[in-house]
Amino acid sequence: MLDQQAEMSSGAGSVTSTGTKATRALGIACLAGTALLVFLGLVGTPEDEVQGDSVRLLYIHAPAMWVAYLAFGITALGSVMYLWKRTRSLTWDRVAGASAEIGVVFTAVGLVTGMIWGHLSWGVYWTWDARLTTTSLLFVLFLGYLALRRMPAEPHVRAKRAAILGIIAFIDVPIVHQSVEWWRTLHQDATVLRRDLDVQVDGIMLFTLFLGFIVFTSIYAWLLLHRHRVAVMEDALDEHGLELAIEERRAEGMATA
Amino acid sequence: MTDAGWILSGWAIVLGGIGAYALRVITRGRSLAKQLPDEDKTWT
Repeated sequence: MLDQQAEMSSGAGSVTSTGTKATRALGIACLAGTALLVFLGLVGTPEDEVQGDSVRLLYIHAPAMWVAYLAFGITALGSVMYLWKRTRSLTWDRVAGASAEIGVVFTAVGLVTGMIWGHLSWGVYWTWDARLTTTSLLFVLFLGYLALRRMPAEPHVRAKRAAILGIIAFIDVPIVHQSVEWWRTLHQDATVLRRDLDVQVDGIMLFTLFLGFIVFTSIYAWLLLHRHRVAVMEDALDEHGLELAIEERRAEGMATA
Repeated sequence: MTDAGWILSGWAIVLGGIGAYALRVITRGRSLAKQLPDEDKTWT
């Protein structure tokens, strides 16, 4: 009780984390799904006839890249909603920023697993193939987006700049996806997200791949909720800091007068 | 499993990377939550 009173008097409330019952339940589901994915991906599925055991990397590589597409799509959506006068709100800007950060993490792990898969299948970690080049460009574009967000500016100025860059950077997502069809590439064609909806995997391998998509999408949702709440508090802290600075200036002015 | 080292490393990088990022978000959230009143925590 005394601790709680001390916390309240120091400005902190009784809520000391970004978690709620719903996010905790989602987090537990994500952990259980990840455990099942690890078992099926590494032990419970057979090796592929052509790729051998390196196919096990695709159970995490493809879902990671799917989440990157999704995250950058949400960033673009948040950016459009911010720029549209009817829905303009810093909430959309925070959603866009939080989603882009998660997208960059998933793009990074997608690139690394792709490099390891390339080493095992092609004999090289990297080649300036259309898919790899456009994906690395996507990574750099959104790193630039995150850097722009960190530049000091008034919140709405920052939000407007970021929204414009977020939409421009998102243009690369369909280019990445279509690159294997538009150019002659070393990278294999789409296996799941195909225009003819004819998924090129069967049985337990298909189940594991879809489990990967569901688990990674759930992890994305969990991360987005927490990261957005962190962004809300970062902005609130900036605002309080500004108010404090103004009060200090006023006090200084009064003292000199 | 052939190439077990590479495959396990790939899985470790993905799960470890996402886990480390999640941990960073949670600890940052806890640190900020201690500095702000509950009115600023819109999810409560």
